[in-house]
Amino acid sequence: MAVLELHQVKKSFGSGHKKVEALKETDFLANRGELIAIIGPSGSGKSTFLTIVGGLLSPTSGDVIINGENLTTLNEKARSQIRLREIGFVLQASNLIPFLSVANQLKLLDKVKKGNMSKVERNQLYEDLGIADLLMKYPSDLSGGERQRVAIAKALYSNPSIILADEPTASLDSDRAYEVMELLKKVTKQKKTTTIVVTHDIRLVDYCDKVYKMTDGVLSTALENHTRVQHMAYEGKI
Amino acid sequence: MFLAWQEIKKNKLRFTLITGILMLVSYLVFFLSGLATGLANLNREAVDKWNATAIILTEESDKSLYQSFMSIDQLNDIKADETAVIGQLNVIASNGDSKQNISLFGINREEFLMPDVTEGRDFKKANEVIADDSLKEEGFKLGDELSLSSSDQLLKIVGFTDQARFNAAPVLYTNLATFHQVKFGDAAKQNKDQINGIVVQNDSLSNLTQNDELTSIEIETFIQNLPGYTEQKLTLNFMIYFLFGISSIIVAIFLYVLTVQKISMFGVMKAQGISSYYLSWSVVAQTFILASIGTALGFAFALVSGAFLPAAVPVSFDVTVMVLYGFILMAVATAGAFFSVLTIVRIDPLKAIGG
Ligand SMILES: Nc1ncnc2c1ncn2[C@@H]1O[C@H](COP(=O)(O)OP(=O)(O)O)[C@@H](O)[C@H]1O
Ligand SMILES: [Mg+2]
Repeated sequence: MAVLELHQVKKSFGSGHKKVEALKETDFLANRGELIAIIGPSGSGKSTFLTIVGGLLSPTSGDVIINGENLTTLNEKARSQIRLREIGFVLQASNLIPFLSVANQLKLLDKVKKGNMSKVERNQLYEDLGIADLLMKYPSDLSGGERQRVAIAKALYSNPSIILADEPTASLDSDRAYEVMELLKKVTKQKKTTTIVVTHDIRLVDYCDKVYKMTDGVLSTALENHTRVQHMAYEGKI
Repeated sequence: MFLAWQEIKKNKLRFTLITGILMLVSYLVFFLSGLATGLANLNREAVDKWNATAIILTEESDKSLYQSFMSIDQLNDIKADETAVIGQLNVIASNGDSKQNISLFGINREEFLMPDVTEGRDFKKANEVIADDSLKEEGFKLGDELSLSSSDQLLKIVGFTDQARFNAAPVLYTNLATFHQVKFGDAAKQNKDQINGIVVQNDSLSNLTQNDELTSIEIETFIQNLPGYTEQKLTLNFMIYFLFGISSIIVAIFLYVLTVQKISMFGVMKAQGISSYYLSWSVVAQTFILASIGTALGFAFALVSGAFLPAAVPVSFDVTVMVLYGFILMAVATAGAFFSVLTIVRIDPLKAIGG
């Protein structure tokens, strides 16, 4: 069974001649253990897509189904519950709470999620993400790459089935960006999550299993991502 | 609470400042309430000392002891468990060195208005008086001969009593005969039955007198009508209520600014599925922590500084009132978190993701 399904999902903002069709009718499927990239220029509708998938934005029409549950039939409270349980967000650098140490960033989630991660699991997560040495530090003491590692740890906390990352590397230099993608790939495979990375950085698709291209609210069919050559061709199209 | 406390710990300076402001405001509230109690005592303590139910004055007096003139015979018109007659006069007394506005009470020794003597002895002979001990701070002593502004009688202090100020003036207690000598001079004989009022102790307030010319006034009402008493109290209370408002507004503004700064952070947390309820609670809890600390410090500070004040400053702390005001302060300050809560509830988690 697919972890995530979109059926004829559409989103438009405004009305009349100001109406923007940010996302045209879209069908989409994602499975466990898949790392998916969605690329496209700014304003093409990538964030709209991602926020609909994450249950933050209601589509104008269509259904969003996460693990068999139809988000569009739920109220905000129930959707917030699903976000908490099923979805981990990785955003740009502003993701961390400035006055909490790394350990407390995660402890906060523990509190609101009523602690469903054991101590062993937690330590394993710290090890996996290479943040075990950063636990007492505050976000202002961390480098950009370290911050995103912590952000990914937050997203992974309590084992969500879906990780949604919107431009997770936007504030990083190339090397750090590759590191972060490497990490996302690792956790996707290890924890069998469905990970969707939105980016306008074409170089990152190397790490992904599938690549979709978003143009003016239209999602292309999936391009299986086997070789670098394919990307070069793909890159040429952009 | 976790979030609230962690933020306070990380941003100590910021939160110390707001706590400091709350401390100063609460200090001012406590100090003003002490002043209100102190000034009230200045007016009423001699009356409280009577431990009376009511006072009978003439209908014409408009509830003023000073304006009420009656005859001692009117005791016959009064039905009460205990009665005590009183004559009252404001005079300026001097012991040669210092002059002081005082209130002279003419009373009967065997009636309940007779104060307990804390130093010296009762008045026995003519022209002997018991004085309020606040006069000691003005340089008056046992054995002083007092000359009076409106009379050529000399009064002699033979004893002191405590807590006996009436309408802001220390009281001299003497017998009725001396009182009449002071008040009427040569005409004392003709006026020997003249008094200002009759104080009563009785279980019930009603039917104390059937005489139409007399009226019985409950003691608290009598106090409220002392010249300046109510006005003073209202003024100070107004200032206190105003400070409640100010503290609420200060907290509201401060928290609102902090909250606005944190909008994107709250948005991220909401996107992660943390509820508005949790975040709002956190802000309210934070405000409550700050308000409690500020108020507690203000409270302690007020008591400590009260202990160092010169006796002439009429500050007297009524701890019950202070605790009540403390709770009100904490409540109104916490209410200042309201706008922040409103802001948090309205934050759209979508904004955090960024288009
Ligand atoms: N809340 C909104 N109101 C109106 N228009 C919006 C809103 N959010 C996005 N849009 C429009 O939808 C289109 C797609 O935006 P977005 O999904 O943010 O693109 P991307 O993330 O690919 O840069 C853009 O034209 C944008 O202006
Ligand atoms: Mg975007």
